[in-house]
Amino acid sequence: MKKNYWKKLLVSMTLVASMLIGVAGCGGDKSGDANPTQGATSGEKTDDKQGGSATKDPVKVEPVNVFGDYNVTTDNITLTYWHYEDQGMADRMCEAFMELYPNITVENKVISDMSTDLSAAAAAGTFPDVFEGTDSDTALANLYWADITEYWNADPENQNLMPTINEYGIGMFDTSVRFAAPMRYWPSAVFIDRNVIETLNLDMPRTDWTWEEMIQLIKDATQYDPDMQYFGLGYYNRLDSLYGIAAVSKDVRQIKGEFGFNGEDFDLQYWAIGEQQFSDLKLAGYVAPQQSTQEMEDWTGDWDTWFGATGRVAVFSEGFWTYQNLWGVEGYQEQYGLDIVPYVTPNVIDEKEHNVIATMYMGGVSTSCKYPLEAYLLLKFMGWGVDGWKVRNEIYADTTITNDSGTPLKNAQMPVPLTLNEEVWAGYKALFPQDEDRKPYWDDYFASITRPVPYGWYSIAGYWNFCDQYFNSIGIHDLVDNGTAKAADYTEEATRQANYYHADAMITYFGPSGYNVLSDAELAKYQAVVDSFLN
Amino acid sequence: MSKKEKKQKKPKIKVGKLEKREARAGYFFTLPWVIGVIAFLLVPLAQSFKFMWYNIRITPMGMIYNYIGIGNFTNIWHEDPEFPQQLVTYIWQTCLEVPIIIVFALMIAIMLNGKIKMRAFFRLIFFLPVIIVSGPVMNMLVSEGAATIPSMNVQSIVAAFDVFFPTSVAESIGEMFSNMIMTLWYSGVQILIFLSALQKVDPALYEAAKIDGGSGWECFWKITLPTMKPMILLNAVYTVIFLSGNEQNTLITMIESAMFSGTKEKGYGYASAMAWLYAIVITLIVGLFALMLGSKKDVYDRKAKKFKKLQKKEERMKRRVIRRGERHAKKVARNSRRYTTYDGSGDY
Repeated sequence: MKKNYWKKLLVSMTLVASMLIGVAGCGGDKSGDANPTQGATSGEKTDDKQGGSATKDPVKVEPVNVFGDYNVTTDNITLTYWHYEDQGMADRMCEAFMELYPNITVENKVISDMSTDLSAAAAAGTFPDVFEGTDSDTALANLYWADITEYWNADPENQNLMPTINEYGIGMFDTSVRFAAPMRYWPSAVFIDRNVIETLNLDMPRTDWTWEEMIQLIKDATQYDPDMQYFGLGYYNRLDSLYGIAAVSKDVRQIKGEFGFNGEDFDLQYWAIGEQQFSDLKLAGYVAPQQSTQEMEDWTGDWDTWFGATGRVAVFSEGFWTYQNLWGVEGYQEQYGLDIVPYVTPNVIDEKEHNVIATMYMGGVSTSCKYPLEAYLLLKFMGWGVDGWKVRNEIYADTTITNDSGTPLKNAQMPVPLTLNEEVWAGYKALFPQDEDRKPYWDDYFASITRPVPYGWYSIAGYWNFCDQYFNSIGIHDLVDNGTAKAADYTEEATRQANYYHADAMITYFGPSGYNVLSDAELAKYQAVVDSFLN
Repeated sequence: MSKKEKKQKKPKIKVGKLEKREARAGYFFTLPWVIGVIAFLLVPLAQSFKFMWYNIRITPMGMIYNYIGIGNFTNIWHEDPEFPQQLVTYIWQTCLEVPIIIVFALMIAIMLNGKIKMRAFFRLIFFLPVIIVSGPVMNMLVSEGAATIPSMNVQSIVAAFDVFFPTSVAESIGEMFSNMIMTLWYSGVQILIFLSALQKVDPALYEAAKIDGGSGWECFWKITLPTMKPMILLNAVYTVIFLSGNEQNTLITMIESAMFSGTKEKGYGYASAMAWLYAIVITLIVGLFALMLGSKKDVYDRKAKKFKKLQKKEERMKRRVIRRGERHAKKVARNSRRYTTYDGSGDY
């Protein structure tokens, strides 16, 4: 009897304890510790002291009430906005928009996986009004984006954007209709560690350097050292992407996309040169090992080391965010003995003004949206609009404003403005080193990134299908990188395949079974490419 | 009297109130399961069967169906060669892993059924992985290499098997060795099932066998294993289903990713076609195990049946001999009548 009593007591106490723990776990912290990938939030006002810091008063911007022939609604409406931004930043931006348009409530959510989240939302009938995407094929194949041409053309601000956006019709996908607009822009960047250059007694290259000068520097900076080998190049972005976009003069071929895409068809011969050159550098030992590889362990003695933190690499082919998120963090460079400055992506043909390959998220208004004008205004505010960028600059400049991880928002994937507005740029440039030694490098760099060309999956219909079903499925990068094959071997077939996938996608997305915006002549042109491939 | 007439003459028994009430309660208790099966099995099954013949685009305004017949299947084979490859690997791996898991689970169950100290604690220990593998913890453990044995040289094993088997089989064997810990971790539920079956074996059987001088080894083969045979089939089926629907299964990941893929070839239709192909393969594997383990009755049943057959045969023979004797007697009698003399004396 006694034994049973203690047994029952023990079991019941355990149950009570586990229930209490469960209840406590479900309680959630309202101070902002929620998972940034979950749930929409910004219908609620954000606590100014979130992240342990106070914000300044937001910049005063005027609302737009009349837009071309349209009036912005005065009804109380709710818009949903799905994005890839840091949750803390998005909350603040939504708040600023709602202050501008008090009758509009914005609910935002971070997208964790575009295909999964959006197709699930479409199936459930809860599709967002405005969203940004990383894969345009998904959005176009499923008619996610609505036509915003009218609003875009009526907006004078859009004439003052980085020139390639209108010149190449980025977001129009080679049709006469604008389905999307660039929202977030991170140019590719070449960085140089001045400490390594100095240690190796090399000269810093001129800022308007050429491709050959960069390759030579990579070779010169690869030197044996008994303590630890020096490598010329550390890469995140492959060199073939940088090369291919600026390989030839506009007179030879107007390249406006990866793989030599000129708006109509592909020509992979330019890519092949860059690919082969990159592979040759790797095979000859000029390229630093990647993180979490045996080579890295052999080099540094630590499997997890990142080459950018070794102080033994001269040139880096990196994303723009690498500086903001890592090297630009206070104390980071001092800790690892680095002195990183940005360089203009070198031009192959020594032209002063040239295209730069870029990561560029595209945003649009969804086809199910009931308030397209208001959604367009929200899209612009969150993406390329001057008003939005003024607010952004204010937030980025205040380093006491942090996200949930305690990182200042300017160190949390801060993009580059797409507008050429001087006030915006003055505010933006002030966020970067201002000392006389480094400022000229940054000024030169910013001056060189005004002609962005997005990676293929953002701007070319069918690009991802081509990569998924041909290019990546046979592993061309790996085959060339390890010396098994030459890039030139694939040029002809890859060009043929890329043209087919593009033409097929154009018919599917923009033909009668899709948006139906192609003329008969255009349809016939794409059909001819498909037929010639299949026959 | 015909069968129909017999049936009609069967007296009708009126169902009593208590019985009705019990039946209602029965239906009520099975209702959640029935609703679950309809909502989460039959409806999705029918939907996916329909979807696999279509290319489906899920737009914000609704779903667009485009009938393509067997187009999804041809796309899988022509444009997504990884799926058929993974399917073949899956077949080999399942056929290899299921016996290993079953044998391991049986061994552990027998050990845990013995009289050992801290038996409850050990039972808990062997069931713990079930809780772990059912959550994202397993993914983290696998990514950290916890499912592998570092000292095991898998490449040598693959090279050794490659000499005797096709490469895909050798690789599957290698894969099995490299995930040995994880494979054994999947045995928790099977151990429990075996344990409950072991506890139901009549101890009198062992006692009788021991009295007759049966060793432990003999008892295992002659008593334990035949009694456990239905449970072995149950566990084999359970293991196949578990391995097939598991988070670690590459095919499940591929189907899921195809389902939510926004590219024009993939989507719900394509994923449904993949899922049906996969379901057919799983059914075949389950069928294979059912044939191997379930078709034959156990040794005692077989012997009893054989004995009964023999008895029937003997009875038939006996009846035949009797009939033959009777026929013979009649024949003799007939013949004797045929050769009777006119005077009836029989003397010629």
